[in-house]
Amino acid sequence: MHDIDDLERRGLAGVVVASEPFAEAAEAQARALGLDVARVFTPHPIQDRTDQEMQDLADDAVEALVSALTSA
Amino acid sequence: MSQPTVVLDPTAGTTPSDRTRNHRPPSLVGVTVGLLDINKPRGDVFLDRVAERLGEQGATVLRYTKPTFTKPAPVDLRHEIATQCAAVIEALAD
Amino acid sequence: MLDGTTRAADEVVAVVPPALVECTVEKVAVNAVMAGCRPEYLPVVLAALEAVCTDEFNMHGILATTMGVGPVLVVNGPVASRIGMNSGVNALGQGNRANVTIGRAVQLVVRNVGGGAPGGIDRATHGSMAKLGFCFAEDEAGSPWTTLSEDRGFDRSQDVVTAFCGEGPRILVDQKSRSADSLVRALAEGLRSSVSPRVMMGMDVMLVLSPEHMSRFRDAGWDRNRFMAELSGHLTVNVDDVLAGAGGIEEGLPEGFAGMALPKFRPGGLLVVHAGGPAGLFSAIVGGWLNGPMGSEPTSREITP
Repeated sequence: MHDIDDLERRGLAGVVVASEPFAEAAEAQARALGLDVARVFTPHPIQDRTDQEMQDLADDAVEALVSALTSA
Repeated sequence: MSQPTVVLDPTAGTTPSDRTRNHRPPSLVGVTVGLLDINKPRGDVFLDRVAERLGEQGATVLRYTKPTFTKPAPVDLRHEIATQCAAVIEALAD
Repeated sequence: MLDGTTRAADEVVAVVPPALVECTVEKVAVNAVMAGCRPEYLPVVLAALEAVCTDEFNMHGILATTMGVGPVLVVNGPVASRIGMNSGVNALGQGNRANVTIGRAVQLVVRNVGGGAPGGIDRATHGSMAKLGFCFAEDEAGSPWTTLSEDRGFDRSQDVVTAFCGEGPRILVDQKSRSADSLVRALAEGLRSSVSPRVMMGMDVMLVLSPEHMSRFRDAGWDRNRFMAELSGHLTVNVDDVLAGAGGIEEGLPEGFAGMALPKFRPGGLLVVHAGGPAGLFSAIVGGWLNGPMGSEPTSREITP
């Protein structure tokens, strides 16, 4: 969140990806930073996933990521 | 005459000024997108696939990794991303 | 409260995470009042806050991690007895105003000034009492060894606070060992399970030796260096026992480490302190969190008036 906030200050379009249990933390951090940082959440957990499961999570997230970075 | 009661604030006592997100391009065609890996296990596999998919959509993808997920990225890395990319995706916090 | 320090009220002590707010001596004092500190504790609170708000200690990461760790503060030097800190009976527990309120004040600053509220940015799965405030003094007078602060490069006459990122303490029982050799083996066996028997070198630990356990080493004529050398010798782990899949457990080290013998803790990753009451053949273990540049380094600061 700090990184994307900083990169938005530097003129970039940014988005953060986290797993769902961190939605509340991200919201609190966004409030503290003063920027509603774009964020996309994946199902939890992450650490015990196989490669295929990680790729599926990525496939499921791509549309939301593109939408967070574009005005379309 | 009694002294006035002064209540001290234990918090930072400041609220950040609200800013809005930067302008977004209509599509990612021809846009350089940085993928910032926070260096937590499994995030690289996720970002590999995201890179593939964004490439198919016409974006130019550059990859970065910060030294540790427990701290903000070093300023040099943020500067590098800012000078090379127009958009950035940071992943994967869990 | 501000009479407790010679520092100016508007002096910036630290930049407090997670919001990275500049925190003045006055702001610390307000939180120290809320914690219940006496003015003479304030210099310890200020030094502790300086230690935890460094990049190497990484309070930001410690607050945000799901592991239930917090800054564990150990005070060395004459200041400890001057302000009435407890290094004896129940040193890690309740009942001593200085111990309890110094740790609490540091946590309140992080929460109130830094904005690190539990349930908000703080996502600890269980949390622990270490996040409420965990501070005690080393029993220097009763120890035949050099102190923690001396081990970390300070002089015995200096007042020093050391911050270690750790969980709550747990008790390690050995009521039978009468020799130093037996006891050091027992301590090593217990330490191998710190955080998880399958976490190797990546997380540090603090061992709080009780006076009765210490007496075994005193009687055997072991100094700190001898003890550390013997203990390290017993903390070499046969990696095959902790490989992923070993014993039917999927957690563990990758196959590439098979056949190796590795130390449980990295060099410098084992902090030893002497504290506790005169009776009880137990010591206490405080498990750590990610160490080094990836996580948190134990960090000491001199306490100044």
